[in-house]
Amino acid sequence: MPGFNSIHEMRSALTDQRYLMDDGLATVVFLALRLRKPLLVEGEPGVGKTELAKALAAATGTPLIRLQCYEGIDVHHALYDWDYPRQLLQLRAGGHTPLYSEEFLLRRPLLEALAHPGAVLLIDELDRADDEFEAFLLEFLSDFQVTIPEVGVVRAQEPPVVIITSNRTRDLHEALKRRCLYHWIDHPDLQREVAIARARLPHVGQQLADQVCAFVQDLRWLDLYRSPGVGETLDWVQAFHALGHHQMDPDVVSSTLGTLLKERDDLERIRAGDLPAAVARSEARAHELRQNNYQ
Amino acid sequence: MSSLRPIQSTADQAIMSAAVGLGRALRECGLSASVDAEHTFLRSLAEIDVRDRTQVFWAGHAAFVHSPDELAVYEVIFERFWDGQALIYAERGSEHGESDARMQGSHHGGEALPQFGGEAREKAPLDGNNQRAHQDIPTAEGDTGTSNQEQGILAAWSDEEILSQRENLDYQENELLALRLLAQEIRRKAPTRQSRRSRPSSRGHRFDVRGTLRESMATDGEAFRLAFSAPTLRPRRLLFLCDVSGSMERYSRVLLASLKAAVGAARRAEAFVFATRLTRLTKSLGGHDLEIALDKARAAVPDWSGGTRIGQAMQDFNNGYGRRGFARGAIVLVVSDGWDRGDPKVLEAEVRRLQLQSRRLVWINPRPMSVDQQPLAIGMRAAMPYIDDFVPGHDPRAVAGLAHLIGGLGDGRPMRRTTAPPAFET
Repeated sequence: MPGFNSIHEMRSALTDQRYLMDDGLATVVFLALRLRKPLLVEGEPGVGKTELAKALAAATGTPLIRLQCYEGIDVHHALYDWDYPRQLLQLRAGGHTPLYSEEFLLRRPLLEALAHPGAVLLIDELDRADDEFEAFLLEFLSDFQVTIPEVGVVRAQEPPVVIITSNRTRDLHEALKRRCLYHWIDHPDLQREVAIARARLPHVGQQLADQVCAFVQDLRWLDLYRSPGVGETLDWVQAFHALGHHQMDPDVVSSTLGTLLKERDDLERIRAGDLPAAVARSEARAHELRQNNYQ
Repeated sequence: MSSLRPIQSTADQAIMSAAVGLGRALRECGLSASVDAEHTFLRSLAEIDVRDRTQVFWAGHAAFVHSPDELAVYEVIFERFWDGQALIYAERGSEHGESDARMQGSHHGGEALPQFGGEAREKAPLDGNNQRAHQDIPTAEGDTGTSNQEQGILAAWSDEEILSQRENLDYQENELLALRLLAQEIRRKAPTRQSRRSRPSSRGHRFDVRGTLRESMATDGEAFRLAFSAPTLRPRRLLFLCDVSGSMERYSRVLLASLKAAVGAARRAEAFVFATRLTRLTKSLGGHDLEIALDKARAAVPDWSGGTRIGQAMQDFNNGYGRRGFARGAIVLVVSDGWDRGDPKVLEAEVRRLQLQSRRLVWINPRPMSVDQQPLAIGMRAAMPYIDDFVPGHDPRAVAGLAHLIGGLGDGRPMRRTTAPPAFET
């Protein structure tokens, strides 16, 4: 796996993957790579927590191994299992391979990550798993080795890069947090959000991207039940684009607002407001942004 | 950096002292910065450009901060750290979050614990004295309560009339006794839910193919015994939202104190108290410092007898913890007399949202109905349509029935109230 020598180098590699990060995130990701420590990222839904792992894997040219957590996830889903049907066949056929050997071992994500040197392991939404699984993970994260009773200790030649995400539906255990570097990803500012939209959706016109991002930035200041994330902004830009619009139009805003806001109360509130004025405001801000960029 | 001792001032030592000093200062402000974190920070410093403020800031953030609530404290301390100021007592992050037994000062009751608050007040913690830093290290396995759990809204209500009226409500001893009995009942019959985790069970109904195959290995591949599995049961989350304003305070206090033994151990209970702001008490519920936490919560309210803004407090809950899923599938118990000084429309909307998130919404109101002929009871009326169970808290029989009700909430779809709400007269 190619190591990065500086924060700057890593950042431009990720920018090539169309993942834009601010100074804070760049520093922390760089440290996670250098110190070989797991990185725990939290943030509102849709700020790009999962995307970070994907981009990092692509930038380093290593496989992304993903473990989606859910309640009741256990060792057989996360670590390994035995391929019983094949063992049974072997038994019936009278073969001589030992039944509990590597050949019949099914590798689940955690074991897979130990086998690939320097792989990126994404442990997604850890807060959804239960306490028992979190406790099990502690051991894995501190030594990057696991014990399979029939086989022995499996150790990583080169520890994987671990990215853990959480939506904070419950508090993760302090012991787990201590083993990780921590970062809270915030919503991006206007300039960065525009840059993200432009990088991710290169086929969309500049004006539309600017306007939509400015509009969304304004929305985040309102005390909505659910603030839209970057993911939703991108969806919305695409919605306009798919309908053949190159700039925002109050009527289309109203009819496509469901792409952006997912709570009925929020939708009603925004639709009841003065949409033409809001659109005009965001156009003004977008204009201002373009002016600044020229200078 | 002038406060570093010049005798040992090789660059390494200076950096180490500074890192340890930062960790200690943060610890004093209630962050759970451990020795591990200091170590991580030191290792980080070797990888980045230590002259770059942004990089050092975020490296420290990654090592010491564990939740977005802690950012504000960290920013203040880091600012001082970077400017080379002595890291003495910046403001504590909050005075009314969860109580932390390691806090210094007379108000926490942990006299037996090592305290160096007094000395440190005269001395800069950035003096590189590692020895003293070690005394205050949080214990290895978590439970290092942060003190930043409160959501800040505040308003000072002062209304003499309400004050006096609220004080009039007194509790009979048997009402409080009923609460204690309730705790015992809940303990005996804790509500559960089906877990997604299953266990082998000869009486289970799910055929376990893998288990069967595994067992047949022992018999040369012949499946003599069929394996079955059954889902396991887990305690269902109980969520308490307790009013601690005015005369509600004593009632809530007894309720929480009696319940903490019953639900604290299960680790599936969350407790919040509110008057004019919302405070999370959960960690105190499991420990021994509930009383202290309640005192602090009360002290934080500017005029605790004045009035409640229930709608605001619930909005705080819904927008913060609720959005994170704290009420999902939980049995939510609101303990309040419904005397709301806020906008009843807000209360109505927020109670509705709370009900939609919860499995069942129970409202315990210790105030006799007859007193509710007051304009303030408007809040109670607004909330009524969205409450699944209304329990008159002054009636010992109703309270006794509550345990039965909670324990009986089985699996399946959320059950909603089927009977009409008790009538309120205007």
